[in-house]
Amino acid sequence: MAEWTMQEALNAALADCLADDDRTLILGEDVGRNGGVFRVTAGLQERFGEQRVFDTPLAEAGILGTAVGLCMHGFRPIAEMQFDGFTFPAFNQLAAHVSKLRTRSGGALNLPLTLRVPSYGAIRSPEHHSESIETFCAHLPSIKVVSPSTPSEAYALLRAAVADPDPVVFLEPKSRYWSREERVAGDDLVGAGARQSGADADAERGDGYASRIVRSGSDVTLIAWGACVQRCVQAAAFAAEDGVEVEVLDLRWLKPLDVDGLVASVARTRRAVVVHEAPVTLGLGAEVAALLGERLFGTLAAPVGRVGAPDMPYPVAALEDEYLPSPDRILLAIQRTFDAVAA
Amino acid sequence: MSTIESPPVTATSELLSLYAQMRRTRALNDEAIALQRQGALTGFPPCTGQEAAQVGSAAALDPAVDFAFPTYRELGAMLTLGITPLALMAPHRGLSFGGAFDAREAHVAPINAVVGGTALHAVGWAMGAKLDGEEACALTYFGDGASSQGEVHEAMNFAAIFELPVVFLCQSNGWAISTPTERQVGGGSVAARAAGYGLPGEQVDGNDVLAVRDATARAVHRARCGGGATVIEAFTYRLGPHSTSDDPSRYRDRAEEEAWESRDPIDRAREQLRGSLDDAEDHFARIEHEITLELDAVRAGLGLLQAPTMREQMELAYARMPAATRAANAAWLQDGIDG
Amino acid sequence: MASHTFTLPDLGEGLVEATVLEWLVAVGDGVERNAPLVEVETTKASTELPSPAGGTVLELHAAEGETVAVGAPLFTLEIAAESGIVGTVPAEAPPTRRVRLRPPAAR
Repeated sequence: MAEWTMQEALNAALADCLADDDRTLILGEDVGRNGGVFRVTAGLQERFGEQRVFDTPLAEAGILGTAVGLCMHGFRPIAEMQFDGFTFPAFNQLAAHVSKLRTRSGGALNLPLTLRVPSYGAIRSPEHHSESIETFCAHLPSIKVVSPSTPSEAYALLRAAVADPDPVVFLEPKSRYWSREERVAGDDLVGAGARQSGADADAERGDGYASRIVRSGSDVTLIAWGACVQRCVQAAAFAAEDGVEVEVLDLRWLKPLDVDGLVASVARTRRAVVVHEAPVTLGLGAEVAALLGERLFGTLAAPVGRVGAPDMPYPVAALEDEYLPSPDRILLAIQRTFDAVAA
Repeated sequence: MSTIESPPVTATSELLSLYAQMRRTRALNDEAIALQRQGALTGFPPCTGQEAAQVGSAAALDPAVDFAFPTYRELGAMLTLGITPLALMAPHRGLSFGGAFDAREAHVAPINAVVGGTALHAVGWAMGAKLDGEEACALTYFGDGASSQGEVHEAMNFAAIFELPVVFLCQSNGWAISTPTERQVGGGSVAARAAGYGLPGEQVDGNDVLAVRDATARAVHRARCGGGATVIEAFTYRLGPHSTSDDPSRYRDRAEEEAWESRDPIDRAREQLRGSLDDAEDHFARIEHEITLELDAVRAGLGLLQAPTMREQMELAYARMPAATRAANAAWLQDGIDG
Repeated sequence: MASHTFTLPDLGEGLVEATVLEWLVAVGDGVERNAPLVEVETTKASTELPSPAGGTVLELHAAEGETVAVGAPLFTLEIAAESGIVGTVPAEAPPTRRVRLRPPAAR
């Protein structure tokens, strides 16, 4: 079976969204003729025309605000922020309008928009091109946040994000754009996500916002999303060399959090470590750790560990390997869950 | 930039109807201020003095096809567009944010307090109308204060680039709370900025209801016919405070207020009508009588407006509520005193 | 004189490979620093790679039409001496570890 990259999977998902629903539009900087700086929208303007896939001026608030207005006229826009750090100029639209308009209008105005954001670091970029914005977005009411980790996941989750009647921020792990994977056949793709979500009991949750178990293990659960899932898979392989069986849980949806899926996994392993590129302080790991503490206080064998960045801006490229969650940092956090002793 | 020419002769009956709407606006405005002083409203942003700019511009729209994007100070525009007084009072009684009406049905966006951002929503709506081949336009209200926001620039630029049917209706009302227009608008004119985008920009006497109506009607017509966006700058004056919590005597001269009071847009329309209608006083009496009845109904209805429940407000957050969110909400409600 | 093999750098924000479109030199050719050596195409762009040093072409490691991974050998030059910051883009190192886990005795 043929392989595909995440970039190709995202491109296929967008093409299928445009083909399936003529109210779907793509707008952003350089998404048309150029096909996006990461080629995620390559060929789409040629295929679907300049009315459906179009370039905007360089103005992120303008892009997102226009998408809001398009929703008010019954369209289903897919807006692109060219890089994570360029989302901040659009943040007023996100926090003051996207997050509030449905409530402000008493439910009259829905915002079925998708905000695609190439995200996270590890590609030797200049400043503002390596940010983790998930916590900023997930903290805003009425906004859903999702981040895929593999090509097939990217396809299925982008289709789900575009189909969702609420605004969804879709965080694409740009360090994984060129990662390859065997391509899942046609119709199986959209459902692929649900079927991968681990135990049968988990699949019964059924509202579509489920996490997935990437690798099963009994000793500790590593929790991650986006680019860090692969980092956890690598750490799990190292741990296996030491006889430690690590479960890797890909959260997928950062809002809503799959509380039941998290609890089911950690109830089995009794130990958990959350791994993200963002600073530890008030990162999404804090929320996951708090939830697990509330639900599994008596079950946990150790406090929930967190691996993330120090309280500093994302560093220069020469330091990013040191800054990002390394296998050793993840293994050390696992070891601490083994060494924890109740006071 | 062009200056508005003398308005064409308009039927007296139309001026009478605009006058009635302006009087209704002023009366509801004054009633809202009173209700706030009586503890029935939590706060209110008066539009005293801006009735002509608001009623005149809104009267040029057809809410069956066009869509208006008001700010929080658009009582007169929203009444003219068919929103009921009680729907407009609900936000100021702490019962609603955007107004208790269906924005999609009314073709009027809910109000909000972060000025400037909704200009972009008008751009997006207009883009949708253009894509759908509709002869319709979006009108976004903003003031000299909001004209400083970057989003207003982005909106005008987008409207120009995509040749969208948008009317940018700026009410330069002299003051953004305590900051005067001359400390707000570099270059002195919002309409002049239109030239930079290649858009027509027009200045109009915002206290002349017919002039505003005609300028807006031309811009609306141009937009609907594919002629693109227009920037209209209506010069008027916020005779009242920024809100019922504000005291303008701290930052502006009484003499300035008095000068503008002598140019009251409602007095002006009344004098015009007196000059052209034999039975003007009879009409005025009828209008005042109808207003009295409406104010009585507002007072009665205000007390009957129901507060939303937390459960209802929670449901508004999502079109498709995730199960985990629903469960967390249920737990939160369970912890409440009333369960 | 020393032979030096140059690897394919990441030509743009996380790319993992490039395809050789055309060699602009042949084995045995003398080249100046910054003279165009090869035209490659990535997912993002087509671009010419300038020679990182002056010298003689000893070997071309990929045929035209062949896809080369970032970090893989691309060409070998015989150069007079190590000069400047040539060939410093590292291949992505495979993940390594130092930490060894000591799982609890009773699990």
